[in-house]
Amino acid sequence: MQIGKISLHTAKAAEQTASQNNNSQAKPVTNPFGVSFKGNVIQADVFQSTAQKASSGIVEKGKLFGSAVVSGINNFNEAFKSRMNSIVSFGKKVTTNVFDTIEKIGNTEIKLDMEGIKNKLFPDRKYSVKNLTNRPVDELKTMWADLNQEQAKAV
Amino acid sequence: MDNNKKIKNIIQALGEHKDSQAAIELLTEFGTNSPDDEIRELTAQTLIRKNTHESLRVVLISQGKGINDLSARVAMASINELLSLKDKTEAVKILDDTIKMHSNEDVKNTARSVRALMTFSS
Repeated sequence: MQIGKISLHTAKAAEQTASQNNNSQAKPVTNPFGVSFKGNVIQADVFQSTAQKASSGIVEKGKLFGSAVVSGINNFNEAFKSRMNSIVSFGKKVTTNVFDTIEKIGNTEIKLDMEGIKNKLFPDRKYSVKNLTNRPVDELKTMWADLNQEQAKAV
Repeated sequence: MDNNKKIKNIIQALGEHKDSQAAIELLTEFGTNSPDDEIRELTAQTLIRKNTHESLRVVLISQGKGINDLSARVAMASINELLSLKDKTEAVKILDDTIKMHSNEDVKNTARSVRALMTFSS
């Protein structure tokens, strides 16, 4: 009678061990290879037995998509933060440069030869009657002499 | 703008210049001795328009200048300008003195002719 009980217990224990082994074999494996989906590392448990995949294909696709979205949001936040930092530092640099330039301009004495600039922009302006009338006669004499020399060379 | 046009502008500017004495000297030195008829013509007209004793003397009594220029075009333009003067007093006075006292007969004869024209035109 006791032998029969022991054998019954042994059989049950063996059965439990077998079922545990089966369960451990059926348990899904967490992404051990770092496989990525659309550029994002998949974090969900997507590796399951072929039998289970076949039974719940739609659910698995949803998992895959959700995991990619979450991972994508995380990556976006990081990229956004880094870009914002670079934009802020660029803005600070520009502001500093602008203030430095304004300070330099403030300390620089600017002299413009407006008459010379006008004559270079409009070369004929130098020989306009209005302009010539306001020049001293000695200067007109020099200009006339230069023109005479140019004409003599041309001949 | 070519050089001739630039020189013409200088002559025109000298005609309106405040420093009249210096302007007449420059016109006499460069303008009346120019080899270009057009420049000499414009110079003579400018000097006559100034209507001062100094400017008129240059074109009325100088041999080869103004009314005595060898170019008929320059001489005729000078005479026309003299005839169109509103106040001919100074010009008539200089012409009379020239007819009386100038050493050169050609200059005297030209002055006499111009004086007659001025009498008839006024």
